[in-house]
Amino acid sequence: MMRKILKNEWTVKIGSAVIALAAFCMLWQAVTVFTGMGDFLPGPAETFAEFFRRFVKPYGKAVLPMHMWSSLRRILIGYTVASAVAIVLGIVMGTYRIADAIVMPLFNIIRPIPPVAWIPLAILWFGIGDASKYFLVFLATFLSVLQNAYAGARSADPVLVGAARMLGANDGFIFRTITLPCAVPYIFSGLQNGLTAAWGQVVASEMIRSSAGVGWIIIRGMDNNDILQELVGILTIGIIGFILAASMRGVEAKLCRWTTRGK
Amino acid sequence: MQMDNTGKIEVMIQCSHVEKTFFTRMTSTPVIRDLDLKVRKNEFVVLFGPGQCGKTTVLNVMAGLETATSGTVTVNGKEVSTPGPDRGFVYQTTALFPWYTVMQNVEYGPRARGMSKKERREKAQYYIDLVGLQGFEDKFPNQLSGGMQQRVGIARAYCNEPSVLFMDEPFGHLDAQTRYLMQEEIIRIWEKEKRTVVFVTNNIEEAVYLADRVVVLTNCPTSVKKEYQIDLPRPRNYTDDRFLELRTEIQSIVDKTL
Ligand SMILES: Nc1ncnc2c1ncn2[C@@H]1O[C@H](COP(=O)(O)OP(=O)(O)OP(=O)(O)O)[C@@H](O)[C@H]1O
Ligand SMILES: [Mg+2]
Repeated sequence: MMRKILKNEWTVKIGSAVIALAAFCMLWQAVTVFTGMGDFLPGPAETFAEFFRRFVKPYGKAVLPMHMWSSLRRILIGYTVASAVAIVLGIVMGTYRIADAIVMPLFNIIRPIPPVAWIPLAILWFGIGDASKYFLVFLATFLSVLQNAYAGARSADPVLVGAARMLGANDGFIFRTITLPCAVPYIFSGLQNGLTAAWGQVVASEMIRSSAGVGWIIIRGMDNNDILQELVGILTIGIIGFILAASMRGVEAKLCRWTTRGK
Repeated sequence: MQMDNTGKIEVMIQCSHVEKTFFTRMTSTPVIRDLDLKVRKNEFVVLFGPGQCGKTTVLNVMAGLETATSGTVTVNGKEVSTPGPDRGFVYQTTALFPWYTVMQNVEYGPRARGMSKKERREKAQYYIDLVGLQGFEDKFPNQLSGGMQQRVGIARAYCNEPSVLFMDEPFGHLDAQTRYLMQEEIIRIWEKEKRTVVFVTNNIEEAVYLADRVVVLTNCPTSVKKEYQIDLPRPRNYTDDRFLELRTEIQSIVDKTL
């Protein structure tokens, strides 16, 4: 019975997604055919065909999957390191007043600066290679994850902490069994936001200075007046971003079976 | 009535001249005023008082979750100042750990105190069976009904084998039918595993059904107004003449609040 409802729900979800996508492509096609926009806007069929053709035919020196990998590698390194550091620091700040008092003012000054504003300085400090991109991705991820890990560590319900204490738990045990699990949903929301920010940051920095990556594809398309290339770049960004976010939700659902957020 | 070998009544909980005032920067709110209370070993005492009179605060002070402003609370001869596993607490809001299964919730106390996995699983299973939750060990709290969640809360408190159990309106959120059922259940569990119980309620019928002794509290700041020994044999009947008589008598002296 339950399974049937679930199945139906999925059918409805996927069905409506397919219909919406189809409608969007039809509208896109219609615009290219029936308006003057057609000159600047290749149709969906043409774009998708080009997208797949580029799996074998290179942009510059590399085929599309290699560009994807360039961007992904930058993300994975910067993002992983930043997440690890930010989770630990956020939890320490949420737990110890003194760490909070020291780091919070700094954080409050840096937080409102959009990460893209750091691109020129990053290039100056770390060069035009991958190091500057790692730094930029690190920064974007770090700000988002830190804030959430901090909020999460402070979110432990005092009634639950009292209940644990009543059952004989000491501070260390409470930290492991109450504070951390309370923080997990917050941390995931930070990781999710961080991923979006990191992805945006990589694309932006590739557009400014790089020799490979999906951001580079777009900017090179612009330089060459190749609209099709720009569209393929945008499509690629959308697809990868979607996959990254979806896999993160999958991990969260596994780890947080007890929350409704993870569902 | 429990006697020790010298023939004296064994006192399990003793509150002497307990006062509790909450201070904020601008105000002070006295909530408990000169409360004296003795609870015998294995006695089922119900604290009965009007809403917002300070019942939860009384229980928190006895449990060590709050410290008294003055006066002393002793449990089993030891003065209470912090929470501790010799006392169990069952919450109105259930206060289960949502990320743990039923089994993990129930075994939490023994685990916190370092009992081996095999041993604590066995113990937890015993109390899960006792409260009638066999088959639900691997469910999460949000997959259970309100009544079942309270059963988990009771099993979790019992699993530490505390000498006293505090219960703060544990059935307050349940619908009327489930509430009757849980009242029967808590008596069944208590008769099987006798403990000293201090049970808070603002429901007169529940008080008379459960208690060896009903302690009526005054309005805030609260203290003991009057005590009633409930001499009815168990299982009790809500419509029994003597039951209704006691109920009417107690109801008549309770402070009225809006
Ligand atoms: N931490 C606190 N700080 C300040 N005042 C408090 C605090 N806790 C309780 N009080 C005050 O004490 C009064 C009694 O609270 P308490 O929760 O003990 O009553 P109660 O009888 O359990 O109420 P209820 O019937 O709603 O369960 C409240 O009206 C509140 O104003
Ligand atoms: Mg209360």
